[in-house]
Amino acid sequence: MSVVSPSIQKIDIGGGRIVSRSHGSAVVFSELSSTYPLKLLSPRITQAGVALVYILSYGGGLVGGDRIKLSVDVGSETTLVLLSQGSTKVFKTRPGNRASGGAQRTSCSSLGPITTTQTMDVLISHNSALFLLPDPVTCFRSASYNQIQTFRLSGDSSSAVLLDWVTSGRKSLGEEWVFSRYYSVNEVWVDGKKIVKDVLLLEDSIEDTKPLPQRRLGDKLAPYSCYATLILYGPLVQNIILSLNAEYETISVFKMNVPSDLIWSISGISDGKGCVVRVAGKDTEGVKSWLGNALRKLEDVMSIDMYRRAFSA
Amino acid sequence: MEHDDKETYILLLLSDSNLPTGSFVASSGLESFVKHGFFSSHSSASDSTLSFIQDSLATYARSALPFVSDAHHIVEEFFQSDDTDIDTTIVGLHALDDLYESMTLNHVAKRASKSQGVALLTLYSKGFSKPVFLQQEETTESTRETRLLSLVDRLKLTIRREETEGHLPICWGVLTGALQLSLERAQYLHLFLHARGLLSAAVRLNILGPYGAQQLLLHAVRPLIDREVSRCKHLHTELHNAELAEENFNGPATTWPLGEILATRHDLQHSRIFNS
Repeated sequence: MSVVSPSIQKIDIGGGRIVSRSHGSAVVFSELSSTYPLKLLSPRITQAGVALVYILSYGGGLVGGDRIKLSVDVGSETTLVLLSQGSTKVFKTRPGNRASGGAQRTSCSSLGPITTTQTMDVLISHNSALFLLPDPVTCFRSASYNQIQTFRLSGDSSSAVLLDWVTSGRKSLGEEWVFSRYYSVNEVWVDGKKIVKDVLLLEDSIEDTKPLPQRRLGDKLAPYSCYATLILYGPLVQNIILSLNAEYETISVFKMNVPSDLIWSISGISDGKGCVVRVAGKDTEGVKSWLGNALRKLEDVMSIDMYRRAFSA
Repeated sequence: MEHDDKETYILLLLSDSNLPTGSFVASSGLESFVKHGFFSSHSSASDSTLSFIQDSLATYARSALPFVSDAHHIVEEFFQSDDTDIDTTIVGLHALDDLYESMTLNHVAKRASKSQGVALLTLYSKGFSKPVFLQQEETTESTRETRLLSLVDRLKLTIRREETEGHLPICWGVLTGALQLSLERAQYLHLFLHARGLLSAAVRLNILGPYGAQQLLLHAVRPLIDREVSRCKHLHTELHNAELAEENFNGPATTWPLGEILATRHDLQHSRIFNS
C-alpha cells in the first residue's frame, strides 16, 4: 500500500509523488504518496539499488475529466522501475455509473467527450535510472486523452528507458481506432537542454472531403492496431542501442506485396547517446514480445523477476 | 495593387519546379511506403497515391506549419522595425530551429529537411538578391533589402558553422518573409509544394503517368491543401508566446505514426531512387 505521509494533504486530487533515495545497497522511498483516483504500490524488491512502483488507478481505468499528476524524483545511485498492471483504460465516462456516484467526475455527454489528462514530471539524478515500462494505453470509443511526460536527466551518467504505447481500442467489441483523441507528449531534457520533444496526435474526425471518400483514423493506421514509441538514453542502455542498431542494419527490403505483421524503425539522438524506436504491429502481443526481446538486456539491471513482470503476457 | 502584382510574380517564381531546392530527390516516405507493400491491391494507383498525399500532408502541415508561421513572423518583425537587431532575430530563429530538431526524430526526414532548408537560403542570397549592376542610389527599399540579405547570410553562416541545423520549415518562413510574401500565401504554397513534390515522386516511381498526376493536382489535391491550411494556419509553436500554455496541448504534432516509421525505413530499401 502507499505510504501515507504528512505531505499528502498538499497533493491535489489525482496527484502523486515518488521520491527514491539510496540507503546503503537499498533504495528507500522518502516519499510515496497519492490521492484518488491514482494509486501507487511498491512491492518489496530484492535487487540491490532497484525499486519498483506500480502506477494504478482505482477501478482499473480513467474517465473523462480525471486528472492524474505524478511527480517523480529518482535520487542518485537508484534505479526506479515504473510499471502498470494491465493496460491503462480510458473511458469516455465511468462505466455503468453514468447517473449516480461518479457524477461529480463524469459530465454531461451533451458537452462532448471531456478529456482525461495524465502528466508526469520526472527528475533523474546523477548515476540513476528510470525504466518506465507500462502496459499500453487503450482508449475506448469516443474517449479523449492527453498525456504529457517530462523527463529531466543529469549529464551523461543518468539513463532512461521510456515506453509509450497505444492500442486501437477494445477489439472484442469491434473498436478499431474509434476514440476521439489521443495526444501524447514526451520531452527529454539533458542538463537543461531539450533534446527530444515527441508529440503524437491521433484524432478521429468526420469531415467533408469531397470529392474524396471519407478517411477515418483507422484507415490511416491500418493494418496495425498497436503503436509504440520507445526512447532510450544514457550509459545503462548503450548495449541495447548497439544491438538494436546492428539488427536494424541487417534489414534489406525488397519489393513486398503486402505489409508485414510488425515493422519498426530506429533513429539515433544526441550522437548516439540515445535513440528513438518506433514499432507498429497487427496485435498488441506481437509488439509486446518484440519489445521484450529488444529490452532483454535490462534483465541484468532490473533482475529477471522484474523484467518478467514487465513483459510477461 | 502594386504589392499584389509583386506578390503574384514572386509566387510564380517560387512555384517553379526547376528551382534548385533539392526537393526532386525527396519522396517524403512514398518510395519506402510502396516498397513495403502498403499500396493496397484493392484500390487503384490514383486512390492509393491520394490517400498517401492526404495522410502525409496532414501530418506535415500539423508538424511544420507552426514553424513556418513563427519564422515568418520573426523575419517580418525584423524588417518592419529598424530597432530589431540582427542578433536577437538570429537567436529567435535558432530557438525555433532547435525545437524543430528536437521534434523531428527521424534521421531520414532530418537529412532531407536540412538539405532543402539550406538550399532555400542559398536561393535567396544567390538567386533573389538584386544584382550589383541594378543597384542604384540608396532608398528605404534598398536599405531594407540589404538588411534582409545580411540576415539570411548570417543564418546561413551559422548553419555552416553547425551552430544550428537549418530545417526546411524555418528556412521557408525566412525566405518567404524576406521576400515579403504574406503569411497566408507562404503557408499555402508550402503545402502545395509538398503535395506537388509527392505527385512528381509518384511519376518518377512509375505509379502515375504525368497527365494523371496533373489531373489529381488540379481536381483532388486542392481541397486537401485548403483543409490542412485552414486547420493549421493559426497554430504556433510554444516559443511564439511563452505565456500561453495552450501550445502544450495544441501545438505542432505528428499525426501519422505509420508514415513516420516507413519514412525512417527509407534507407533499408535494397535499391532506391530517392534520398528520402
